[in-house]
Amino acid sequence: MDLRKQFELAMTRRALFSRASTGLGLAALNALGLAQASAASGDKSPTGGLPGLPHFAAKAKRVIFLHQSGGPAQQDLFDYKPQLEKHRGIDLPASIRMGQRITGMTSGQATFPVAPSLFKFSQHGQSGTWMSELLPWTSKIVDDITLVKSVNTDAINHDPAITFIQTGSQQPGRPSLGSWVSYGLGSENQSLPAFVVLVSQSSAVNIDQPLFSRLWSSGFLPSNYQGVSFRSSGDPVLFLSDAPGIDRETRRRMLDSLKAINGTHSTEFGDPEIETRITQYEMAYRMQTSVPELMDMSKESAATLDMYGPDARKPGSYASHCLLARRLVERGVRFVQLYKRGWDQHNDLPRDLRRQCEAVDQPSAALVMDLKQRGLLDDTLVVWGGEFGRTVYSQGRLTDTNYGRDHHPRNFAMWFAGGGMKRGVSIGETDDFSYNITQDPVHIHDIQATIMHCLGVNHKKLTYRFQGRDFRLTDVHGNVVEKMLA
Amino acid sequence: MRPGSLLALSFLCSLAASAQKVDYVREVRPILSDRCFACHGPDEANRKANLRLDTKEGMEAALAKIGPRIAHEKKALRMPPPQSGVLTEPQIATLQKWIGQGGEWKMHWSYLPPKRAEAPVVKNAAWARTDIDRFILARLEKENLKPAPRAGKATLLRRVSLDLTGLPPTPAEVTAFLNDTSANAYEKVVDRLLASPHYGERMAMPWLDLARYADTHGYHIDSHRDMSAWRDWVINSFNQNLPYDKFTVWQLAGDLLPNPSKDQLLATAFNRNHMINYEGGAIPEEYLTEYVIDRVEATANVWMGMTMGCARCHDHKYDPIRQKEFYRFFAFFNTVREKGLDGSRGNAEPVLKLPNTWQQSRLDAISKRTTELEAWLDERDVVALREGWEFQQPKFPAPPTANEKGTAAASLRFKMSSRLDTVESLLLDQPQLKVWIDGGEAIGRNRRGSRLYFQSGAQVWRTKDNFVTGDWQHAALNLTGTPVLYLDTKPVTLEPAKATAPKNPPKGSKEDIRFFDRALTADEIRILAIDEPAKAILAIAADKRSGEQRRALLDYFFEHGAPAGVRDVNRELRALYLERDDLDATIPSAMVMSEMAIPRESKVLARGDYRNGTEVVTPGVPSFLPPLSPSAPKNRLGLAQWLTSGDHPLTARVAVNRFWQMYFGTGLVKTVEDFGSQGEYPMHVELLDWLATEFVQSGWDVRHMQKLIVMSAAYQQSSKVTPELHEKDPENRLVARGPRFRLPAELVRDNALAVSGLLSGKIGGESVLPYHPPGVWEDIAYGDTFSAQRYVQDHGDKLYRRSMYSFWKRTAPPVSLATFDAPDREKCIARRATTNTPLQALVLLNDPTYIEAARVLAAQAMATPDPLAFMFHRAVSRAPSAQESTLLRAQLAKQVTLYRNWQEGVDKLLKVGEAPVPAGRDRVMLAAWTTVASTILNLDETITKE
Repeated sequence: MDLRKQFELAMTRRALFSRASTGLGLAALNALGLAQASAASGDKSPTGGLPGLPHFAAKAKRVIFLHQSGGPAQQDLFDYKPQLEKHRGIDLPASIRMGQRITGMTSGQATFPVAPSLFKFSQHGQSGTWMSELLPWTSKIVDDITLVKSVNTDAINHDPAITFIQTGSQQPGRPSLGSWVSYGLGSENQSLPAFVVLVSQSSAVNIDQPLFSRLWSSGFLPSNYQGVSFRSSGDPVLFLSDAPGIDRETRRRMLDSLKAINGTHSTEFGDPEIETRITQYEMAYRMQTSVPELMDMSKESAATLDMYGPDARKPGSYASHCLLARRLVERGVRFVQLYKRGWDQHNDLPRDLRRQCEAVDQPSAALVMDLKQRGLLDDTLVVWGGEFGRTVYSQGRLTDTNYGRDHHPRNFAMWFAGGGMKRGVSIGETDDFSYNITQDPVHIHDIQATIMHCLGVNHKKLTYRFQGRDFRLTDVHGNVVEKMLA
Repeated sequence: MRPGSLLALSFLCSLAASAQKVDYVREVRPILSDRCFACHGPDEANRKANLRLDTKEGMEAALAKIGPRIAHEKKALRMPPPQSGVLTEPQIATLQKWIGQGGEWKMHWSYLPPKRAEAPVVKNAAWARTDIDRFILARLEKENLKPAPRAGKATLLRRVSLDLTGLPPTPAEVTAFLNDTSANAYEKVVDRLLASPHYGERMAMPWLDLARYADTHGYHIDSHRDMSAWRDWVINSFNQNLPYDKFTVWQLAGDLLPNPSKDQLLATAFNRNHMINYEGGAIPEEYLTEYVIDRVEATANVWMGMTMGCARCHDHKYDPIRQKEFYRFFAFFNTVREKGLDGSRGNAEPVLKLPNTWQQSRLDAISKRTTELEAWLDERDVVALREGWEFQQPKFPAPPTANEKGTAAASLRFKMSSRLDTVESLLLDQPQLKVWIDGGEAIGRNRRGSRLYFQSGAQVWRTKDNFVTGDWQHAALNLTGTPVLYLDTKPVTLEPAKATAPKNPPKGSKEDIRFFDRALTADEIRILAIDEPAKAILAIAADKRSGEQRRALLDYFFEHGAPAGVRDVNRELRALYLERDDLDATIPSAMVMSEMAIPRESKVLARGDYRNGTEVVTPGVPSFLPPLSPSAPKNRLGLAQWLTSGDHPLTARVAVNRFWQMYFGTGLVKTVEDFGSQGEYPMHVELLDWLATEFVQSGWDVRHMQKLIVMSAAYQQSSKVTPELHEKDPENRLVARGPRFRLPAELVRDNALAVSGLLSGKIGGESVLPYHPPGVWEDIAYGDTFSAQRYVQDHGDKLYRRSMYSFWKRTAPPVSLATFDAPDREKCIARRATTNTPLQALVLLNDPTYIEAARVLAAQAMATPDPLAFMFHRAVSRAPSAQESTLLRAQLAKQVTLYRNWQEGVDKLLKVGEAPVPAGRDRVMLAAWTTVASTILNLDETITKE
């Protein structure tokens, strides 16, 4: 956006703000990306975002991004390579590796023995999509998803790769996808943040790679656009509960005193920030009710809970987070970013990947089914995938029953459901070793551009001026992948 | 961002309409930069139509072509094309008018040295106290605005105290100031504050953002580092008023000064504050490059207000910085003796050790003694002695007789991986005895310890304490009666445990497993643990022994085969080495700059990728800036001298602009980090240049500049604003009123601690871990293998240190500070946003820090005749109004009634925080007053400088 538009926008906001005699001014709403639907008209049109957005009709109004941290092995889950068995144990041919860089964890290996998947694949649904036996539940939704087997990234280790998929840059400092979306589109809920983060707790013995708050940071965007982490233990939102010994009556009384004193002060000083502060305190008060109501799963039917699997009743589990994600989007939260760790199978992959899939497969599929049965899938985009894939060669010793896999950025698989995506298609092909893309490469920046497109945003036009330059999520890259779109 | 930003433009527009002659630099160049330079600017590779509009020659050649194209009647032929953002009608008019006036080209304002203008003559000369005021007032008079009246004395004292020390005035200081009617009463206060040791802390705070200071390495694992010694140096430098040129030279190149002092070396930690990675599998060259680029970006931002990073991948699009020039600048910083992946055990090399006097003298003594002993041993030719001993085939005592089925005792040697990554590992699996070891847990900052378990019969035992493994160790077990375990011949304390033997094989090795029919004596255990391994090594041919085996054998020889004199010397020497290592581990250090003997070669990196090195470059500075002095060394020292020569157009301007921002919330150039083409044109260019030249002429006197600003009438104005003035100037860029904005994150908390009297006055030292919600680190951390993954809260005084000392973990910064816009410190930050959010309300209402502060404040207030007045004077430096008294007394009365009937609530509330509840207080009253104190701490006024 050019300076002049920013200027005009600022003026508009100021004008709106000064007219807001009761309730919340837009400036206040914009804090946290919170925005208020006009109560009188029941209008659910988005507020708090930028004027002129969405750029065109949006297919998706909200996003649930199920990030699978660690790098799920595409050849054991989605990218069926029956030909690999005949190459078992051979050193990965130079014609396949083509001198591509590998991580410091395997660069010292004497050989790179090809490790075919130990898991059986079969075809599912009308679409006949191949799926691993590790994903029996995902296999049931193949006709609702777009499977992309040709995603590729630039980074080869966790930190830069996750940072890349979440912010469009391998190095820290840029706003996250969710921050861009809440900056551009605002929220549809008046008492919940526009951008919510859920970090699922570990389920098995698998090692969890660390995460970083920069992944949901607003970068150079104002900090009110950063993701609000909903925690599974203690207060779901930090400091949400009234302090011990402060009951609701006391809290209300304190807020009434505050409002009166701040109000007088506002009249005396004339600084609109004081009025904004008053509205923020009222919003905080409302969040104290709306968030616990959101977190309370007791009204979910047994059938629903069962659908998400045995972990659904365990707070903080991936299954309960998938269910919570549905509850969040039901309430108009714009962007739910979920993190499930434990996909980093450098060794003992057959054992550990099975455990991981047991925790992830059913809830992921249940979320799609649940959204679908509630009519929410049409305008909610669900994204499932990690930061990179895994190598076809074994890290460490290859045996008949065991192998490990190192990081592989050249190709991996992600799936997408609802919100403007095709249903029941697979996109992209890889070579016999699942090592190089042979058809329809889809880069991380393309994924980002396509997600934005589903939200009605032209990724090239949603920019923010920082250090003299108009930055955008996709830097100077990214193409919308038309083949993915319905 | 606050609504109503970027309104500076409205002033520019109004000026544009009225001015007769179009000002190229202020009116034309910003349009060209924003809309045209990307294709017709400095970036040679992407320049279109061979047209260049950012240089004199280029513009002269292009001038005739511009007019027709920007207003071409065919939209498709109009320049710039839509993707570059079309020109508005007023912009086209400005450009046309300028071309019509001859199209005179001028250099971008900030590339030229500042010119010191005489302060303008103003009508209301009596108002102006300093030259700053004459510049400000001249502009106000032009805009038909009047300055605001002076702020009330108490308000002013609170403002200047918060600005210069970050702490509110005490009620006694307020009273003293109110009673001081002397003409220089205010100046006396300013001098007192500038002399306070807290002044250095206040000045250091924004510097820590610029320096990306943190207590962890960042990136993936984000374990701890300790740069607090450098932070102390920064605070001290401000307190000692180290001139800004020295402050600069020491930080950029203190190590290259002749005979550098400890402080000069320590100062260079500035450019080691960047993040350091050691994610498993990461590629060292990639991160070496990132570290150097971070130094370039931070240095250019801090000292030049230049966005140099834009030239990493290609020529800069807006400023005349060639990509090659970026890498010449890069070459200055690509010479540090550092590793690409480092930091797994605290500070990464190169480090400066900072022993205290006692530590240094002990180190010296150890060093002297070890040198003597080593020389003594050298004279004895230990190698020959050992070979002689071996040649004579030393005798070993006979070991006890083992029995495969023995159940009374067992002996084995084992070596576990130092990083066990399964929960438990099986060492021994016999019908009569199972032995295993657990995955270990963190002990101390950097170490991990494991416990050994064994099961004989039904009972499971384990070692009571964690021990560190990673080397060969010997375990002997006597199983008759109450079991006894010897680790390396020493008995260890056991405790019964509930655990079952795991199935996983060990991550490590085991050998020499023996069982016995009877309990072993201490002598026999010694034979098994010490003599037998030596005997086994001796049985291996000398040239087949591993390094580890050779060392083990040498140790054995010293202890058992060497002449008594040699043995004693060796014992002493080993004890001294151990002491030295232990001592060394307790000595603080800082990561500093230190040149490699042979510097790395620097190359232009195509597309900024470390794998794409092309042309080799030598250190150098961008050509649009003054050249390096021919006599200057072509290294960081030469660079630092170049920045501080006094001729550099940017160094002083950028520094004084940040000073201004600290007081007025917004810099004279709002884009404090960008003085280039895309940066904002200064609101008061003459004032900025006057301040910059004043700074240099004063001998880069930092304290002088602070005093100059706070002594100005402009600074001392009331911050009340009328709707009309707010409409005209919402961000107060014209300074027709005093500054009013929410305190920075650290000061929001410091203020509450100070108001309650809890604040610790201690300055400097290691970072502290105050109250923090559980799980914030742990939810995203990397297990227990590394440090700084679990938040272990401090107690006592450390709960109440100033927030600048709070432990800053980059991947999970202190939550209450981050909520108030504190950055994560991953990158250099020159300005923070000031947001206003409900999450901030939740922190102030419910964070135990603030509840405790309210409780402690209330407890003190209750001991005074007028508690409410006491609390107001502490929190906002004034008495409560009648309305406030009525409201809060009503609140108090209702709370008293409520708490009388809710004893549990009273108990809960008074239990928040670790500060004791003073005896003799009515607990119901204290609880009720606490809610009043909490209300006061939540007032907008309390968290605002006004």
